[in-house]
Order: sequence, then structure tokens, then C-alpha cells
Amino acid sequence: MTGSRRLSGSSLLRAKAWALFAVAAAMPAPTVSLAQIPEAAALPDWSGVWQMNSNTVFDQATVDPPGGSSNAPGTREYPPYNEEWEAKYAANRERVRSGEFPDPITTCGTPAGFPRMMNLPAGIEFIVKPEQVWIITEDGPNIMRIYTDGRSHPAPEDRWPTYSGESVGHWEDDTLVFQTISLKGDGDTILDRTGLVLSTEARIVTRLRRLEDDLMEAQFTIEDPEALTGPWHVVKQYRKLEPGARMIEFACAENNRNPVDTAGRTLTLDREGNVLDDL
Amino acid sequence: MNVRKSLSIAVGCILGGFAAAASAHHAATMFDREQTVELSGEIVEFQWTSPHVWIQINVEDESGEVVEWSVEGSVPNRLYRAGWRPTTFRPGDRVTIQGAPMRNGAPAALFVGARLADGSTLGRFE
Repeated sequence: MTGSRRLSGSSLLRAKAWALFAVAAAMPAPTVSLAQIPEAAALPDWSGVWQMNSNTVFDQATVDPPGGSSNAPGTREYPPYNEEWEAKYAANRERVRSGEFPDPITTCGTPAGFPRMMNLPAGIEFIVKPEQVWIITEDGPNIMRIYTDGRSHPAPEDRWPTYSGESVGHWEDDTLVFQTISLKGDGDTILDRTGLVLSTEARIVTRLRRLEDDLMEAQFTIEDPEALTGPWHVVKQYRKLEPGARMIEFACAENNRNPVDTAGRTLTLDREGNVLDDL
Repeated sequence: MNVRKSLSIAVGCILGGFAAAASAHHAATMFDREQTVELSGEIVEFQWTSPHVWIQINVEDESGEVVEWSVEGSVPNRLYRAGWRPTTFRPGDRVTIQGAPMRNGAPAALFVGARLADGSTLGRFE
């Protein structure tokens, strides 16, 4: 017999359990309290496919000209930008005008991110579970997870800027209230094509509730100590599509005939892949 | 090729610049929404794809040369809900399409509206 010894099945299980315990003991204490997870039956029914009931201007309340399109050069909104970020927005709008402000999602490589994923024109789902809420969009696609199991945000050293950020929330009656931090900002994401951007310091509190059977409302309070002089309040609404509506696949890289060149121009290709912009 | 008529950039501006194919994917500054081109011809291919659908149509220009145009539309998820189907345009269909042309005169446009082979209209066709 060698120095090692054979473990019976039950001994092996016990050994694995102790190994797992040792690993768990070395990790930070969990912040989740199961008692805080709501009962499924107490949660609202947000099933179905929804669609934003406005165009893709993020802040409909301040858009200039009124009713303007985010795709029309010259359209702008009025977030409470500080002087530096107002200048940045002005520069972006000028690049929009010259056709050199590429939409980050035009490359078909990255999500639209938050809060822009709440400002897309196609289908959106709100999946309510006791421990999480998922927001899923067709375009992108984008998936956002909002933890409602009582946990806190990870410690600063355990998070970093991502497209959809880090969200934790709770229920206040039939309203989901969640805070999102650790968002990628200017350079990686936009809020709409007028050139609206935020910094990685943005913190967004969203209040999401079903106003009527077929109407959802999201109220955003955006704070960004780097870019804004005060809170920016934005409201967006979503209509429920007909019963039985289904989400439809959006595979951006399937046939992207509008790549972006190194100068930031969005190109147009013919069926053979030839660039039509330089004819 | 027996393509009826015609490329009529000369009748541009007839729609006052409305382009229905707002994009979920890219800015459309390459297209001049203040102009409208009317393309009558024969469908070569209909690409029912993300991030955009593309209608390929052969059109005879004023010199008698047949030119293949690329007409960019919105995206299948939104178009399906607006009544479009993968078979809305079939190769060989003779249709008339109105769109916002590329600013540089290249044979491409952003879809605004169409009159289909059966005489029905789609989008904002005027």
C-alpha cells in the first residue's frame, strides 16, 4: 500500500464538501439575505413584448426641435451638462453633421448598453423573477440583470465599467427601483445618435412600473459628477404589443453592409461588398 | 433586359424628404433625405437580414444601361410587425421603389415606399 489511501464514495463527497467550504470561507462574506427575496406571487406581471412609444431621442422632454429625430443632424437635447461636457456634446453634434460620429453599435460587436438599451426602437421584454429582473432587447441584443435578492453592489475592486453596468434593486409595491453603476461611458456608448454621452462616473436610479395594462414607464434619475451639474430626470414609456407577440432574432453581424472606416465614416456597401461611398 | 422605365432622379424632392426606414443600427447621413429617387425595375434579390434588409433592383438608366441599385430598409423585427414578410419582394417582381438617394450619386438609397407587383403599396409611397 502506498502513502495515499483510497476514499470511499461518501468520504470523497465529504472531502469535496470540505474543499468547497474552504474555498467559500476564503471568499468575502455573502451579502445576500434570503429573507429579502420577494415571493413570486407578490410580483407584478410584466410578461409580453413591449416597444418604446417614441422615437429614439433619449430625452423627449428637452429635444430641440420638438419632436426631432435623433437621426437628423441638428437635433439636440438639454441635459444639465457642465461646461466641459456641453462642449463635448457640441463637438459630437458637429461630427454627426459631418457624418463622422459613428454609432458604437454599427460595428455589430458590442451591446448598446444602459441606459441606451431602454431607448431602442424594437422589442423589449421585462422578465420578473424573485431574485432577479432581466431586461432583454431584440436589437443588440442586450441583456441586463437587476439583482433583487438583497445584495449590494460589489466592492469597487470587484467591478469595472461594462456596457450594461452593475444593477441592484428592490420592490416598492409594484415599482422596481434599481441603481446602476460601473457603466462604460463616452467613447464606448452613447445615449442616442444626437451625440449624447455620459462618463463612467454616472449613477442611474431607475423606477420601472406598469402604469396601465399595456403601458410601462421608466423614470431615470441620472447623476454624473464628471459630466452633469445636477440630477437629470428622463421618462420613457413602452407599449405592450398584441397578445402572442414574439421576440424576433436580431443578428447584427449577419449582413452588415454599413461598416465603419478608420475615419469614423459609416460606409455603404453594394451586394458584392464594394464601397459605394467613394464612387 | 426588359426593364420598363426608369431612373428618375430628375423628379427628386417629390416627397419632401421623408425616409421611413429609421435605423436601429447606424446613422443615415450618407442618404439625402431631402431628395427622392424613384426606381422602377425588376427585383434581383431581397436580403431579409439583420441589421438591415436590402432590396436589389435592376433599373434602366437614361442611357439605356441597366444598373443594379441597393435599397436599404429597416430590420426584419420591425418590418415584420409593419406587415413585411421575407417574400414581400421576389426575384423577377416588377416594382417601383421610392427612396432617399446617397449623397454622392452612387446607386443606393434608403427605402421610403414602394408599389409592389400586385399594385399594392408599402411604406410611404406617393
